[in-house]
Amino acid sequence: MIPNIVECHQVTKRYGQKIALDRLELAIPAGRITGILGPNGCGKSTLFRTLTGMVRPDEGRVEVLGKTPGWRTNQSIAYLPDRARWYPNHTARQALEWGNSFLPGFSMERAIQLADEMEIDLDMRVGGMSKGQEARIMLILCLARDVDLVVLDEPFTGIDVMSREAIVASLIDFLEESEQSILISTHDIQEVEGLFDYTVMLKEGRAIWSGNSEDLRAEYGSLRNVFRKLYAKEWND
Amino acid sequence: MEEQQVGSLHFQIDFSQPLYEQILDQARSAIAKGEIALGEKMPSVRELAQELRINPNTVMRAYQELERDGLTEKRRGQGTFVTSSADNVASFRTALAAKYIDSFMEQMENLGLSWEDIEKYVRGKKDSGTGGDGL
Repeated sequence: MIPNIVECHQVTKRYGQKIALDRLELAIPAGRITGILGPNGCGKSTLFRTLTGMVRPDEGRVEVLGKTPGWRTNQSIAYLPDRARWYPNHTARQALEWGNSFLPGFSMERAIQLADEMEIDLDMRVGGMSKGQEARIMLILCLARDVDLVVLDEPFTGIDVMSREAIVASLIDFLEESEQSILISTHDIQEVEGLFDYTVMLKEGRAIWSGNSEDLRAEYGSLRNVFRKLYAKEWND
Repeated sequence: MEEQQVGSLHFQIDFSQPLYEQILDQARSAIAKGEIALGEKMPSVRELAQELRINPNTVMRAYQELERDGLTEKRRGQGTFVTSSADNVASFRTALAAKYIDSFMEQMENLGLSWEDIEKYVRGKKDSGTGGDGL
């Protein structure tokens, strides 16, 4: 197994005048659950799109699973994007069947089990779902896959408390059973900071801190406090 | 910081301190005090991780350490149990007490106190009824 699941050297990505990633240096060890933390616009989603080959950096070198991101590496990555795209007339079951047909390593059996745990009615139409139900289906599409890397972009955002709890609970079960590496980005770490065993703090396209979450706690206190301090400026804007 | 009851164990997790040590210390002390009985089943790793909302790997590491302490044992296919050996718990408690006393003595000596002074303080503390829970 490769030591680092993600490596970035001097990675820069600009959108016009705006710098999304600014000479980013980053190494994320394999087999961990890593929290990519930072406020909106700090570069989290751009980083994830870079790892899945949807965005090519202007400068620098990116490696995921030891290779340059592309369709080959994507077969081994389950990616939950920050926005969903659905056929509104599909039922939950059809959405999962779509996953079963098109996503490498997908297990329909596992998906149905997850749907049961997360209280998703398989006959419900996707078009009529709440944001929280939609988020749960998206998560199932990722967690039902036997792949090396799971990438979840803001899985907790804008959803109800029940869905949030269901998602955290299934992530904990998932972590217990699997050896996969997981990256989760979030700008809201309340109630989830205990999940991350590795932490990356992004600010303005750079990693301002990365390391073992336990070391961060020993040195600075709770992730939530560190987060508040580091991003005080954005918080007050 | 809220207290959480998981089976016979209760935990108070402070997210501003390393989590592994808190779980280990609190489980050790529950076993040493007999809050969870000899031979009783420990909560599963999954159950504890779910209740405390923390990474199961962290719980697993603490459980491995409890096993090395001789305080728990794994039974194939059944989970983790508190040791049924009262001797194991007693010797762990003695070792831990010795460790606490060493660090207490070191701190007292750093204050320049003699053994007589220390004895006097400890007696005074005991007589005023604020020390310990009558052990």
